[in-house]
Amino acid sequence: MTETERAVDDAERAREQGGGQGRLTRRWRRLRPSARASEPVPRRWVRDEFGVLLVLGLLIAGIGIPYPDFLDTNNLLSTAHNSVYISLMACGMVFALSMREVDLSVGGTYAMCLVVGALLIRDGTAPWLAVPVMLATGIALGVFNALVTTLLALPSFIVTLGTLMLFRGVGLALADGKQITDLPLNDSFFTFAGGDPGGVPFALWVLLAVIVVLTVVLSRTRFGARVRAIGSNPDAAAFSGIPVVRTRIQALALSGLTTACAAALALAFYGAGDPTLGQGYELQAIAACIIGGTPLAGGRGSVVGAVAGAMILSVVASGLVFFEVPINWTSFATGGVILVAVAADSALRRTGRRRR
Amino acid sequence: MAHGDILVAEELVKSYGGVRALDGASIRLSGGEVHALVGENGAGKSTLVRILSGTLGADGGTVRAAKDARIAVVSQELSLFPDLTVRENLFPQHPPLRLGLLDRGAMDRAARPVLAELGLDVDPRTELGELPLADQQLTEIARALLRRPKLLILDEPTSALPAAAVDRLERVLRTLTDRGIAVLYVTHFLDEVMRFAQRVTVLRDGRVALAGVERAEVDVPELVSAMLGGRPEQPPRRARSLVDLPPPVVLSEVTVPGRLTDVTFTVRAGEVVGVAGLQGAGHLDALAVVCGRTAVSGGRVDVGGRGLPRSLRDAVRAGVAFVPSDRKRYGLMVDRTVWENTTAVSWLALGRGGIAPSRSELVRRTVELTERLRLRGGPYDLVARLSGGNQQKVVFAKWLATEPKIVVLDDPTRGVDVGVRAEMHRIVGELAAGGAAVLIASTDLAELTEVCDRVLVFVRGRVTEEVRGERLTEHGLAVAMQRPEVAASD
Repeated sequence: MTETERAVDDAERAREQGGGQGRLTRRWRRLRPSARASEPVPRRWVRDEFGVLLVLGLLIAGIGIPYPDFLDTNNLLSTAHNSVYISLMACGMVFALSMREVDLSVGGTYAMCLVVGALLIRDGTAPWLAVPVMLATGIALGVFNALVTTLLALPSFIVTLGTLMLFRGVGLALADGKQITDLPLNDSFFTFAGGDPGGVPFALWVLLAVIVVLTVVLSRTRFGARVRAIGSNPDAAAFSGIPVVRTRIQALALSGLTTACAAALALAFYGAGDPTLGQGYELQAIAACIIGGTPLAGGRGSVVGAVAGAMILSVVASGLVFFEVPINWTSFATGGVILVAVAADSALRRTGRRRR
Repeated sequence: MAHGDILVAEELVKSYGGVRALDGASIRLSGGEVHALVGENGAGKSTLVRILSGTLGADGGTVRAAKDARIAVVSQELSLFPDLTVRENLFPQHPPLRLGLLDRGAMDRAARPVLAELGLDVDPRTELGELPLADQQLTEIARALLRRPKLLILDEPTSALPAAAVDRLERVLRTLTDRGIAVLYVTHFLDEVMRFAQRVTVLRDGRVALAGVERAEVDVPELVSAMLGGRPEQPPRRARSLVDLPPPVVLSEVTVPGRLTDVTFTVRAGEVVGVAGLQGAGHLDALAVVCGRTAVSGGRVDVGGRGLPRSLRDAVRAGVAFVPSDRKRYGLMVDRTVWENTTAVSWLALGRGGIAPSRSELVRRTVELTERLRLRGGPYDLVARLSGGNQQKVVFAKWLATEPKIVVLDDPTRGVDVGVRAEMHRIVGELAAGGAAVLIASTDLAELTEVCDRVLVFVRGRVTEEVRGERLTEHGLAVAMQRPEVAASD
């Protein structure tokens, strides 16, 4: 039984039971007699992100009340800045997951783009001109993933598991296994894009713009709707004449693009090209998406949720410092938070279904 | 129970909800005989088989079995494990063990005589999935025989088999009956009834239309009459005004290896053409060619003036609308709203409406169509929440939104009620009147006689007959669909 079939069965059972999904649901309905079936969609948009944003807010409050220093603007900004690279990867990953693909290669893409940019700048290219090259590299790697997936008719999970190491390997080889330094750090690229224009790290401005653009792309454009349609039912999408292969190429290219974006910002901030950077980011990005309400089964996704998910991971890591938890327990706590966040979100989601 | 009877069922009654699947059906199965059970889809065959085999309880009636009468069923869909070996498949529940490990030697010793008897010459270590379908089927029969049954029920065992495998099955059946086993043989193929069976029972609408008559006393047309009953025939076909344009669908001597041989037909604009055949006869493969789902090895195809569609998307762009029989799998995104489904082809696939149209515009277009189709449900309703008939209307709506030139329907009214069925037929009529070329397959022969101008009958991958006018009746179609060697010999 596939996920879709199971979802259909669930939905049908729910229909037969008059739409109720348990006592809690029914109580909700009584409280909200206006919850009718045929209401415009925007309400759902709010609800999808609501759970994860609530969790994020509670976390911040939970750390901030005993430790008010945590709420200091600089600390919050730096906490957000810590998550920015994974956030950007997660923004692209949402598109891959929404169409039932996975891009495990983002860690490798990140490293390779970083090295390519650093080498170009070290060898004399104007830093701002290296940026489009890095972005193009990211797109090309994404297209490569999609083409291999399509030509070999393999799941993208397996293909990108391979290219993850492949891309990082290229980065390591190009960089000769060493950090690339000696970059012109007084160039406006490093001072501006690596700095804090308006008191806020430049990377956060970029992230904000990416969130807005990609939210619109996913929810309102034909490309976004195709991505979600394919994730909802790949067979029906193909039978409707939706160009599945082209959409896959576009989605994985987008994932490569946001990752390259993260790499460019990291280069500007760190002022060096380290080919070992970003290890394990792919799993954190996927975790961020899932915390943010994008199911692995596809069909839907939330860019805002994914970023909130990444922020949650970062807030936890930062909060542990305040609680003076030994550093070796960070992974343990992060894993626990992922489970709790996903469970909380899924509980909220279940009661949230009352409306439909 | 008379001597030699293995199983006697009398006056069985079974209802699902308000629908009577069996309404007083009886059957008597004797050792050493192949007893064929035939009937249309929905006549109650499967229900009867499930009651006889004990997987379903009857609402009324009795089933009496001889002492120690073990019953084994070989079902329509193979219930085997392709990744396991033949040996492992033969002992799915209680494999012989030694020291807690599978005792392969004991398995082989038990299996060898049965496999030999069936003429199945395979290494028991082979993975089942590597065997041809016919051998998989025999493996399943072998598994059933290892339970030493007195009654073996074969539920449509040959629907996917090549002719040589059917010959082999005939020999197997003879061996089994020589050993005194009773065989209940459920099938659509009346030529097999005439070849294999000693007796035949025909079910119609849950009742017995012919009760265990001897084969020598019936012929194929009589069996067809018994299956269909004395249903009133349809009013004469209305004349359609055909548009005088190059036909949108042209197949010329099309060959698809193993499926179609030299198939030639056209569908003109404004015409409703049916395709009919028994399972595997090739009529559905002809639809697949038009929809761009099948590669063609020979012949010429033109769909919508753009040649052979090379993909589903190609066909959609050529103006083909395809309503599949499995609408939940191939037709709908059930976890999405009505408007998202309705715009899935016109906007998502064909791009009409631009890159980012306003949602209210998409919803407005949806409402226009759903009102025309009298859909019960709003544009924001989830498709999963709609009834089967309304879901099918959503499938129609998404294709109507593209104003298709060619409409391909595969069992468009499966599982919908009579009212929706009539509405669907009205829409098909409107589409044709609007200049679309309609190609339709249906397991419901009455549907073909109601909506089609003519019906192409497929037998073993060839178009053997075109039925039209006075002859376009259920009976006429059902006889034409049988294999020619049988139809001709009667």
